Amino acid sequence: MTVFYLVLFLALIGAAAAVAAFAWTVRSGQLDDVDTPPRRILFDDDGHE
Amino acid sequence: MTALALAPSPCTHCGLAIPSGRDGAFCCAGCEIVAGAIAAHGLERYYAMRETPAPARTTTRTYAELDDPAFQRVHVRQTEQLANAALYLEDLRCTACVWLVESSPRCIPGLVDVRLDLGRARADVTWDPELTSLPVIARHLDRLGHAVHPYRGLDRDRQRRREDRRLLVKLGVAGAAVGNLMLLAIGLYAGLFEGMSRADATFFRWASMMVAVPALGFAATPFFRTALGALRARRLHLDLPLSIGIAAGLGWGSANVIRGVGEIYFDSLAMLVFLLLVARWIVMHYQRRASSAAELLLALTPSRAHRCHPATGELTDVPIEALVPDDLVRVLVGETIPVDGTVLRGTSALDVGLLTGESRPIDVAPGASVHAGTVNVAAPIDVLVTAVGEATRVGALVASIEALGARRAPIERLVDRIAGRFVVIVTTAAALTLVGWSFLSSPATGAEHAMALLVVTCPCALALATPLAVTVALGRAARRGVLIKGADALERMATPGVMFLDKTGTVTAGELAVVSWRGDLDAAALASAVEAASAHPIARALVRHAATALVATELREELGRGIAGRVGGRHVAVGSPTWSATRTSPTIDAWIAELAERGETPIVVAVDGVPVAVAGLTDPIRADARVALDELAALGWQVELLSGDDPRVVRRVGSALGIPPRRCHGGVTPEAKTAAVAAALSRGPVVMVGDGVNDAAAMAAADAGIAVSGSAEIAIEAADVYLRSPSIRAIAATVAGARATLATIKRNLRFSLGYNLAVGTLAVTGLIHPLIAAAVMPLSSLTVLASSLRSRAFRSSP
Repeated sequence: MTVFYLVLFLALIGAAAAVAAFAWTVRSGQLDDVDTPPRRILFDDDGHE
Repeated sequence: MTALALAPSPCTHCGLAIPSGRDGAFCCAGCEIVAGAIAAHGLERYYAMRETPAPARTTTRTYAELDDPAFQRVHVRQTEQLANAALYLEDLRCTACVWLVESSPRCIPGLVDVRLDLGRARADVTWDPELTSLPVIARHLDRLGHAVHPYRGLDRDRQRRREDRRLLVKLGVAGAAVGNLMLLAIGLYAGLFEGMSRADATFFRWASMMVAVPALGFAATPFFRTALGALRARRLHLDLPLSIGIAAGLGWGSANVIRGVGEIYFDSLAMLVFLLLVARWIVMHYQRRASSAAELLLALTPSRAHRCHPATGELTDVPIEALVPDDLVRVLVGETIPVDGTVLRGTSALDVGLLTGESRPIDVAPGASVHAGTVNVAAPIDVLVTAVGEATRVGALVASIEALGARRAPIERLVDRIAGRFVVIVTTAAALTLVGWSFLSSPATGAEHAMALLVVTCPCALALATPLAVTVALGRAARRGVLIKGADALERMATPGVMFLDKTGTVTAGELAVVSWRGDLDAAALASAVEAASAHPIARALVRHAATALVATELREELGRGIAGRVGGRHVAVGSPTWSATRTSPTIDAWIAELAERGETPIVVAVDGVPVAVAGLTDPIRADARVALDELAALGWQVELLSGDDPRVVRRVGSALGIPPRRCHGGVTPEAKTAAVAAALSRGPVVMVGDGVNDAAAMAAADAGIAVSGSAEIAIEAADVYLRSPSIRAIAATVAGARATLATIKRNLRFSLGYNLAVGTLAVTGLIHPLIAAAVMPLSSLTVLASSLRSRAFRSSP
């Protein structure tokens, strides 16, 4: 069972990395508007850039 | 009219039936303009994309105020070559609207980018000031059916975004903690059944503590902070029992891990904090926006005026701030009067509907006092300034809106009242458990059971009950065109009481229209040609009545009487009965009498001095008003009319709608409206429905204010509810929905209290196990969620 100690430690590091990544997406403003971008994806790119 | 009765074809733009008597392929002028603009720019794909067709609305505003330096200073950010501003757009509905608006850069050279935020109805536009200007962009968006307003509250938005992000990070941390603690807990629970070495169990418990204490300590700070604040202010708040539960769970759990004996509840606690943060996130997204008085005033009055030099009469354009009492300003036709003052020179007519609710223009002559915010519709006048800015009547009105809005105490939320009792009951029960078990067994067992009670009764579902019910209601309402600013407004409108309705623009269309025509039908086109150039409301009604290609020359306008001109060699006079015709006839006299009897304003059309037709003008009652008021009465509301218009007109409208004369109040000033609402407040719930500046203060004073579609911006700001759909039947749907929402909230509270009673009993008797707590917590929250989704509030089929 000693392998558990190592795996658990690694898993928690992974979780911490995921939380840090999430915090980065929030702070960079990617989640400020969640209504409009899912609609924008429906447009063909005629005239939009 | 000899045309055959053809099956009505639907409007090309919105698909509604075209009203009889209207030529062409469109149901209204709005649809015609918008469809034209869409076709002109090759944007027909809009029709393939949109989800819910609706009639389009456009305005005739020039948006010249957006080019004003005072406005630009506040709202426009300049970079090296480009300028950037945030605009608020009306009537944004679906994906197609996003596409249409964001396609604008293809239509206007110099417009670089338009980014839409659908949730906030906010468009961020970037343009090249060398090539185009903000009014051009605003007019284009208006033609597409989205009326433009400056986006107020950028600072507030920034502030809120900071709070949003902070909360979202906490939500993420709590979510990760739930997942990982649950995995660790599964290991421990499995160990209970399958057997587990003591060293392994200790390791898992320590690992749980290492995750739970920092993660939850960080994520739950908002609750601790509010609870401490409430304690200091000696108020009861739901966050108090929540904080007690969280703190007790973390503290006792950590003690048990260090001691090496006793239960830990970290998995349930993490779930609890996560769900609570979700609830808080939901609530934050439906918070009420409030505007400062200064911002509102900017929207109502022009920021520049033409100042007359007292000696030379020379005109200079000055910002409104530069004016002082005893200055002389000139107000041209179509302009909004910028100050309070006295007319010194000139006679004209003013459209005062926005300020007082009177449907007909009033005539002014030298010596008459005029108010800022009213529109000069007939001829230039010179006004001697008596008050500027916040000292004007409209300024005082706006200040009172802000004051009333701030003074309105937050309602004591049902859930906070329950939370107060909850704290008392649970802490008493915990104390009794401690003492009781200390006698029966040992103080350690007593403490164990008391702590378990505090943790498992932590009222998670109670905290979710209101936000979930309100979110479902607000979301559904928004889809039906009813925008509600917050949970408070819903709770305030749930109990029936008195509903005050404004007349002009609320139960009526809000502008004069030709409702009857007696005599020569061809004369309508002649009248339209003569009136085409005038800004007078009567002229505009006649022009709308009959579109014409005829052109009038030698126009002569006489104030308060009418307009005459020459159309194709004939002399046409349109105006008051005594003025336009030199001769008369018994038929014409009978028509005039008939129309006047019905409360319509008779306008006579004379050709070469001979009267040929009489038009009856009135502000028509909305087609759905009667049904709407009957629905309100059926829901238990007492409906009263509160209008600034002539009492006789108000009573006539009231009788047409089935409102007894004693409940029809006419000639009410904006200040008196507020007083009437305040007086009624002592007798029960009061809702004010209106559309104008004159209603805004009363809306702020009432328990809830409802602004109907097409309202003045200030009324929308002051109101709690804005009806985006043109039908006023939405008023009844709104109050019915509010009542259904409150019923759902109560049902949710009963469910969650039932769960708490059950697990609380188990804890007191010492039968609780962390596994039960872990199962019950999400189960109770899911019940509340299901109950909220099943709510009848704002169901699409009522």
